[in-house]
Amino acid sequence: MRDIETKSRKSELLIILTIVIASVPMILAFSLLVLSSFSEEMVTNLKSFRPTLENWINLFQGKMAITGSIRVNIFEITLNTLIVALGVAGLVTIVSTLAGYALSRMDFRGRKHVMIALLVLHAFPGVALIVGVYLLYKLTLPQDPDLMRFYSFFYVILARGALEIPMSVWLMKGFFDAIPWEFEWSGIIDGASRITVWRKIMLPLVKPGILAVALFAFIAGWQDIIYVRTFLIDQTLATFIESNIESEFSHMPLIAAAGTLYLLPTIVFFLIAQRILLQGYSGGLKG
Amino acid sequence: MVRIRLENITKEFGDFKALDGIDLEIEEGEFMALLGPSGSGKSTLLYIIAGIYKPTKGRIYFDDGDVTDLPPKDRNVGLVFQNWALYPHMSVFENITFPLELRKVAKGEIRRKVAEVTEMLKIENLLDRYPWQLSGGQQQRVAIARALVKEPDVLLLDEPLSNLDALLRIEVRAELKRLQKKLGITAVYVTHDQAEALAMADRIAVIKDGRLLQVGTPEEIYERPRHKFVGGFIGNPPMNFLNGFADRGILRIGKSTIPLPKEYESVRGEVIVGFRPHDVEIGEGIEGEVYSVEHLGREQIVTVSVEGEMVKVIVPGDRRFEFGDKVRLKPKKIVLFDKKTETAI
Repeated sequence: MRDIETKSRKSELLIILTIVIASVPMILAFSLLVLSSFSEEMVTNLKSFRPTLENWINLFQGKMAITGSIRVNIFEITLNTLIVALGVAGLVTIVSTLAGYALSRMDFRGRKHVMIALLVLHAFPGVALIVGVYLLYKLTLPQDPDLMRFYSFFYVILARGALEIPMSVWLMKGFFDAIPWEFEWSGIIDGASRITVWRKIMLPLVKPGILAVALFAFIAGWQDIIYVRTFLIDQTLATFIESNIESEFSHMPLIAAAGTLYLLPTIVFFLIAQRILLQGYSGGLKG
Repeated sequence: MVRIRLENITKEFGDFKALDGIDLEIEEGEFMALLGPSGSGKSTLLYIIAGIYKPTKGRIYFDDGDVTDLPPKDRNVGLVFQNWALYPHMSVFENITFPLELRKVAKGEIRRKVAEVTEMLKIENLLDRYPWQLSGGQQQRVAIARALVKEPDVLLLDEPLSNLDALLRIEVRAELKRLQKKLGITAVYVTHDQAEALAMADRIAVIKDGRLLQVGTPEEIYERPRHKFVGGFIGNPPMNFLNGFADRGILRIGKSTIPLPKEYESVRGEVIVGFRPHDVEIGEGIEGEVYSVEHLGREQIVTVSVEGEMVKVIVPGDRRFEFGDKVRLKPKKIVLFDKKTETAI
C-alpha cells in the first residue's frame, strides 16, 4: 500500500545515505591519522601500513624529531593544555550560569542592551581583537620571570574565555528560559532567597546546559592556537604540533601520534557528556 | 490561621490592567474560591496574596497586620501550583522537607512533621521516589504535603485539580475540602471550573476582567446572580437569558407574555430575563420550538428555540419530545438584568 509512511521512510533512507556519504571523507581522514600513528610511515594505502608502536614510545619519551637529540616533556605540554582548557571551561561556566540566569529571570535596566551587545560581541572574530588584547597584555605583564609565566596562563584563560562568554551566556539564558517560573516561585514561597533558588533549584535543572557550555568552552581552550601562541610562554599540544610540522626534522607518523593524543580528550569528553546532555528531567511538572 | 483582607487591590502589567480595585475579605478558616474564566486575573490575585507579585495599588492585611511589603517567606503561606512544581531532582522526602531545611528546623522535628503530614495524605510509602515516578494524583498529594508541612497560616491553591483526570478530580475534591476543614486553615482556591467552586467553597468570589463581580455562598451565587455573567458562568448548563420588555408586572418576550413576580412589579422597560434550566416547567408560558434533545439517563436536556434564541430546559427523562414540537415554557424562578449594565435589577 502506498501511503505517507512508505514515502517518508524512503526519504529518511535517502537522508541517512547522504549523511553517510558526506561523512566518509572525515572518517577516512581521522582513520588515516590514527592508523599512521601506529605505522612506520604515513598510511596512504593499505600497503603503506606497517604496524609499530615506535611513534608512541618516542612521543612519550619526548623525542619529537627522528634524530632524537631534541627532547621535550610531552606530559608537561599536555598538562599546560589541560590547565588552559579547564581554566577557560571553569571561567566560562561560572560567568554564563550567573549571567544567563540574570538575563533570563531578572528585570533590570539595560537588560535588552546587554543582550544585543552580547550578540554583537559574539560576531567579533577573536583574531580581529588580538592587537588590542596584546596591548593590554604588554601593559599588565609583570617583570618577574616566574610571575610572568604564571600571568601568561592567567591571561590566556581570561582572554580566550572572554571570547566564549557571549555565546555561552546566550545558551544558558535559553536553558533558564525553558524552566517554568513555578519552580522558582515555589522555592521563594518555601522560604529560599534568590541565590538559594538559583543554586539549589535552578542549577540542577539546567545541568545539561551547564555541561554543554563547559564542554564547548573546554574544547575552545583545548584547540585554541592563536591566543595560546600569542600570549602563553609555555607550549600547549596545539602549538607544539604546529611547531613540529614546520620543523625540518619532522617525522610525520610521530606527529600523527601527537595529533591522535590531542584528539583523545575531546572524544572522551564527548562520550561522557552526550549521555548527560541527552538525559533531561521529566515529571514533577505538568501543564 | 488568619483572616485576609484585600483593600482596593490593583495590578498593572505595563499598560494591561490585570486587577482593578478588588476589595475582598476572607474569614479565618474559610474556604474561598476565586472563580473566573482564564485571563480574568484570579491567579494574579492569588500570587499577590502569596507575595510573588506586588499590587500596583492597594493593601493586603493578614488579621490586622499589613503584609503588602512583606516578602513571601515572611507571610507563612503554602502554595500548591497548577503544575505542582515538584523539584524534579529531589526525592519526595527532599521535596517535602525543602521548606523546613531552609528554616533550619532540627532533624528530629523534620522527621516528625514529615511523618505527620505524609500520613495524613497517605503518601508515607513514596518518600524515596522521585516526582517522575509518581502518578498525577500522587504528585498532587506531594505538592499539598510540601505546602502544609511548614504549617502555613494560609493555604493557597492555584487550580490544583486541573491536571487530574475527571474521576480522580471528583474524588480529590471531597478529600481536599475535608482536609481543609479538619485543619481549620484559611484557604484560597483559584479555579475556572464552576462545579469545583460550588462543590468545595464556603464562599465564591467571581472575577472577570480584573473586577470582582460577586462574592457569596454557593447558594447565593447560584440562585441570585448579581450580574448576567455570573448566571451564565455558573451551573451546567448555565442560566438561560432572553430579551424582554417589562411593564406593570407583565414580561413580554416576543409574542408571549408571562407574569412577573412581586419584587419586579415596578420594573418597566427593556430587560434581560434569566432562569435556570432546572426551574422551568413545560406548559403555559413562552412559546418555542424544540431544537434538540439530549438524554442524560434520569433526565434530559431539551433545547428550545425562542425567537431565534436557544434556551436549555432540564425535564424528567420519561417525556418524549421530537424536533420541531411546539412547546410553552414557564420559568418558576427568574432574575431580571438591566439590558445595558447587565447587572441584576
